[in-house]
Amino acid sequence: MAFFAKPRSSARLGCRRRLFLRSFSSEHARDNDIVIVGGGPAGLALAAALAANPIAKNSLKITLIEGGDLSKIQDWGMPPNAYSNRVSSITHTSQHFLNRIGIWDYVEHARTNPIHQMQVWDGVSGARINFDASVIPESSEMARMTENLNLQRALLRKLSDTPSVQVIHSVKVESIQRETGDHNDWPLVHLSNGVTLRARLLVGADGFNSPVRSFAGISSYGWSYDTQAVVATLNHAPRGPFQVPNNTAYQRFLPTGPIAFLPLSPCTSSLVWSTKPHLAAALNKSSPGVLEQLINAAFRLPEPSLQYIYRRLLEGAKSSEEINEEIVFRERSDGISSHSAYASATSMLSDGGIPPDDADALPPLVTSIQQGTIASFPLRYNHAESYIGEGAGSRTVLVGDAAHTVHPLAGQGLNLGLGDVDALSRCIIQALRHGGDIGSYTALIPYARERYFENHKVMSTVDKLHKVYSSTAQPVVWARSVGLEVINELDSVKAALMMNAGASSRLQNASGWDLFAKSIESLAGAASTSKMVSGMIGAGIQELAKNAGQRIFGRP
Amino acid sequence: MIDVYAHIRVRVTNGIGGPALCRTRQLAASCRQESDSRISAAATSSTVNATEIAHFSRLSSLWWNEQGEFSLLHRMNPVRVRYIREKILEATCEDQGEDARRELESKCAVLTGMDVLDVGCGGGLLSESLARLGARTIGIDASESNIGIASTHASGDPQLSSSGNSLEYRHTSAEQLVKEPKRFDVVCSMEVIEHVDNPVAFLSACAQLVKPGGHLFLSTIARTPLSYFITILAGEYVLRKVAVGTHTYSKFVNPSELISFFQTYRSSPSSSSNPTDFGHIGSDVSPRPWITRTYAHGLPTRLEADVRGIVYIPWSGEWKLMPRSSTPWGAVECNYLFWVRRPLDS
Repeated sequence: MAFFAKPRSSARLGCRRRLFLRSFSSEHARDNDIVIVGGGPAGLALAAALAANPIAKNSLKITLIEGGDLSKIQDWGMPPNAYSNRVSSITHTSQHFLNRIGIWDYVEHARTNPIHQMQVWDGVSGARINFDASVIPESSEMARMTENLNLQRALLRKLSDTPSVQVIHSVKVESIQRETGDHNDWPLVHLSNGVTLRARLLVGADGFNSPVRSFAGISSYGWSYDTQAVVATLNHAPRGPFQVPNNTAYQRFLPTGPIAFLPLSPCTSSLVWSTKPHLAAALNKSSPGVLEQLINAAFRLPEPSLQYIYRRLLEGAKSSEEINEEIVFRERSDGISSHSAYASATSMLSDGGIPPDDADALPPLVTSIQQGTIASFPLRYNHAESYIGEGAGSRTVLVGDAAHTVHPLAGQGLNLGLGDVDALSRCIIQALRHGGDIGSYTALIPYARERYFENHKVMSTVDKLHKVYSSTAQPVVWARSVGLEVINELDSVKAALMMNAGASSRLQNASGWDLFAKSIESLAGAASTSKMVSGMIGAGIQELAKNAGQRIFGRP
Repeated sequence: MIDVYAHIRVRVTNGIGGPALCRTRQLAASCRQESDSRISAAATSSTVNATEIAHFSRLSSLWWNEQGEFSLLHRMNPVRVRYIREKILEATCEDQGEDARRELESKCAVLTGMDVLDVGCGGGLLSESLARLGARTIGIDASESNIGIASTHASGDPQLSSSGNSLEYRHTSAEQLVKEPKRFDVVCSMEVIEHVDNPVAFLSACAQLVKPGGHLFLSTIARTPLSYFITILAGEYVLRKVAVGTHTYSKFVNPSELISFFQTYRSSPSSSSNPTDFGHIGSDVSPRPWITRTYAHGLPTRLEADVRGIVYIPWSGEWKLMPRSSTPWGAVECNYLFWVRRPLDS
């Protein structure tokens, strides 16, 4: 039995009373080393990462709690051509992590789709940038489109083989309290089925409105984007034999928000259209046949025409004939030939024929939308002040959406969460190796140090991109278009950007910047590039001055 | 040869110095020196300094506040445990071969089956980590309130309070513990020797508590201008990271002093193992000193002892264990770890 030198007798009564209080508050409390609240991809990945490590598997007792029904996800299956509407692009870095913990093999690869190219263009000026995975030294794909349910099912299947991790689902967390006692006040999680769990470390993987974060007293900094993202699964004709296969992601930056087309299979793709809330509501409620035409038009028509179409939609044009009429009128008045790839309602192109020159610059025409996949959700920028709880909130840590939410325009949300999970699992294993208390502040600091700044960099970059592309002011449009077209010419810069975004698993971020530095050096030596750049800048400044002159002095 | 004894002579004011200080003379010396409380000095051994004990007892309740007074100590703990782990693994490789080492490394608990003593455990920072690594740990401290805090903290952790006799705290001192027969595989004394009155007696007591072939780990601060600047000027007065009076410059111990102590220290053969069992070459030959050779730059060889600096990186807020090659270049100017191994045949 353990033998301790007792404190002096004056404290004995208090000691007994303290013991009584502690036993009362932790009645039926089960001791756990780690309690993970939240059964989304981040929480499940953390449990799987710890279960995959022999040291952690044998010394840690882990419990995961999820309010929803996970058995449905474990048995999830869909027919081959039907896809769920929540998909994420899993970067190479994340894939490498999932491979390391043995999850990637459980993912159904037939339902994932590699992305080889990404076409991004400006909705106002048409300036384009094309990312191609072939410039990265060692990989041919930039990311993989995977359904979130596919990943969750893989994680659940792996966890069901691991006895040391207990997954409790369909049980909600009623409250989280701090244990009353002297020095060792561990968090107590009260579940709706009456069980209480006592946690050495409480992990909040419970999404944006995280109860763990509010228990820990961690405030967060952020704002709402006044944007809703509409998602849907689109059906379209397969790409013809003269075109690249459906492995290209398309994104057009409209002033209301970007619209993205993410390929899932030869004839199916996913839509993420971030737009203003009133437009999103109208899109959500639109009758069949309307949304497809709007999507096709949104990728093709110039911005002023789109404004007219939005107005028609908001004024109450509900039927697909009315919308069709409007789009046809717009295409005629913009002078779009019915044989060009930019025609949608008036398009006379047949599916199997020779495509026009610029067909690869645009996604295929959407023919229908999979039943029941239209949904929308609000977008926010949110970053917790700290990832580790202190004081009354100690022994808590946040991962995934509980710690940060980001605009989906760069497809980084899930990847940041998986990066967090990777760092936290390594931090916990390191603490175990040194006999540390995994819930102590000292043991968790390396995790925060590794992830906070990295996440902040990505999130603020994405935020700035969103802000830059939301503007229609001419100087801003000109600057971003020139910038985009300049970078489009610089292959090594693009390679560096792709690697920084996680497209290469082997190289760290630093070597991405090495390439960037080399490219700047080569730029200094390349006369033609500099002439082109100066030419562009000169032409742009002239244009700007001319417009400014017109505005100030009236038409000449 | 640096004289550790001269260092002691400075403190023993009545001039009865010399290597063979007997207990009563030490007692008289310390009583004459300390004008305040005589209780601890009379009851426990003389190397315990009453004002130091009072200072740390006052701070007892702050031990486990990781962002408070002891935050630097909390941050140093993983580095110390990592060092202990490294040395245990190296010793396993030397004694039992590469396979045994690999097997031990794959387990989390590298100290399984070992008896470990933490001298001056304070609030139990190191003792808890050692117990989690599988050792049968005893933590001792001269301050009773520290022992109380340590026990309370450990009792709240199910991992430490449930598994048998693996973590125990006692209010005693190294000198008292020597009188008991128990000896330890690993003795640690982290950040203690710069707070005791008589480092020679303290070191002898710690060394006597080590089993043959066992390890002694110390961590302390060197007595250099840089260490004064960092730990006292910057740490106590300017940045106020620790309370004023935590460290006393004259009590800092240089690594060269520790090395020279162990170059002459021999374990008395009357401790646990019996040399006559092994077919003696000469039964009156006393066992070898713990450190038999040093390199030209004064540092000991790898198998016998090791001195490694640890540096605090302020901007990342963590301690870094400096590599072995940086020791001759001055990495041990401030905080450092010292490891020495008791010869197997003593």
